[in-house]
Amino acid sequence: MAHAIKFHPSTALLEQFAEGYLTADVSLALAAHIDLCPHCQQLSQDITNDLAGQFVEQRVTTNSTDWDAMLNSVLAQTEQTSMKPIANEVTSSNALQSIMVSQREFKLPRALQRLSASHGKWLHLGGIATATLPTSSDHHVSLLYISKGTEVPQHTHLGLEMTLVLSGKIVDENGEYHAGDLLINSPDDTHTPRTLPDEDCLCLSVLSAPLQFKKGLTRLLNPLQQFFF
Amino acid sequence: MLKLTTGSGHDVRPHSNVDTAQLMTAQEQTHQQWEEALTFVALKRDKLAYAELFNYFAPRLRAFGMKMFGNEQQALEMVQDTMLNVWKKAALFDATKGCASTWIYTIARNVRFDMLRKKQSRKDDISADDLWLNGEYPEPESEDASAQWDIQLLSEKLAPHFNLLPPAQRDVMERVYLQEKTHQEVSDELAIPLGTVKSRIRLALDRLREALDGTRN
Repeated sequence: MAHAIKFHPSTALLEQFAEGYLTADVSLALAAHIDLCPHCQQLSQDITNDLAGQFVEQRVTTNSTDWDAMLNSVLAQTEQTSMKPIANEVTSSNALQSIMVSQREFKLPRALQRLSASHGKWLHLGGIATATLPTSSDHHVSLLYISKGTEVPQHTHLGLEMTLVLSGKIVDENGEYHAGDLLINSPDDTHTPRTLPDEDCLCLSVLSAPLQFKKGLTRLLNPLQQFFF
Repeated sequence: MLKLTTGSGHDVRPHSNVDTAQLMTAQEQTHQQWEEALTFVALKRDKLAYAELFNYFAPRLRAFGMKMFGNEQQALEMVQDTMLNVWKKAALFDATKGCASTWIYTIARNVRFDMLRKKQSRKDDISADDLWLNGEYPEPESEDASAQWDIQLLSEKLAPHFNLLPPAQRDVMERVYLQEKTHQEVSDELAIPLGTVKSRIRLALDRLREALDGTRN
């Protein structure tokens, strides 16, 4: 049986996601989590229904908008273009493409499909590999592959760090994280994530600021920020 | 934050029961009305049905857009884009999976999201279509599976609080909820009155409820 997902976004975060108020990169981590998590799928649906209810029930004030003109303009547009009704798009997961890293193949959640098709080059450092996703935003979005039995040096976060486990397992001082688990670390959280000797791990990482490494020689990594950012 | 005026059902002024009942029926009727209108647009490209949808939703969409953009021009651009999408995508609406207003709300949310991204001149970037599944996720295999999942989640959340209960309460709770004994059996086993068993359970449940509320985000 698949391991139940234990680390979820808070309801408040899911609400902001459903409203479309979160930044695109943070939204992407949530969307990918939801793809993997039946519990949050249901919760998001309930939240969306509730928001839609508020949307319909809101009090509408009269204003000077010429609605008839807009209606006619929309109808005119529908006639100009041939306007074939959009057929049911394939939303099923049969045709999911996968990605390759270190001779391993991984299937990605729906939310990451389009972006992962044009991911950046894999950069390798020890047992760790990272490839950025093409998002031009304030946060940095990348895939992070960690080979079996590898430790990511202890680091602290200058900003928000979101890590979604996509496959495999990772552990840190606070617990074990399996596919679908979403970790959110705020500034000041320090941790040393690692993989166990028998299982590697693929994660989605969203960072709002570079990581800062804490110990001894790993501090030499700090200038290599582009690797972890 | 989006702070919408709630409908009459949640209004500060109390309504009589009759009003509420009438309101409910009216709401159900409108839900059905919009679903039918969308179906007509999808199947027959029916302009009258579309005009009905437009007249009802456009002013609401404008209010929704004003909250985010704070400017009339963009709000109206959002209304127009959303309503155009309603026409184009009407065939994708599935009444068995949700109501029409939810469907239109999600289209507006997506249009608004993409407009904001475009305003920041993002290229090859995350779009609303990446974030929100068009349609719904498949149902979990069975009700049992999802119920079991909920129970597991709840048990995990409850376990630490369970251990913090006063020993006498925990003892009774373990016998009732984990060993599935009746209140009478527990009363006999522990040689305490049945009323005491019941009040210990109530106290323990209160404590657990409080503990869970306290840990909510």
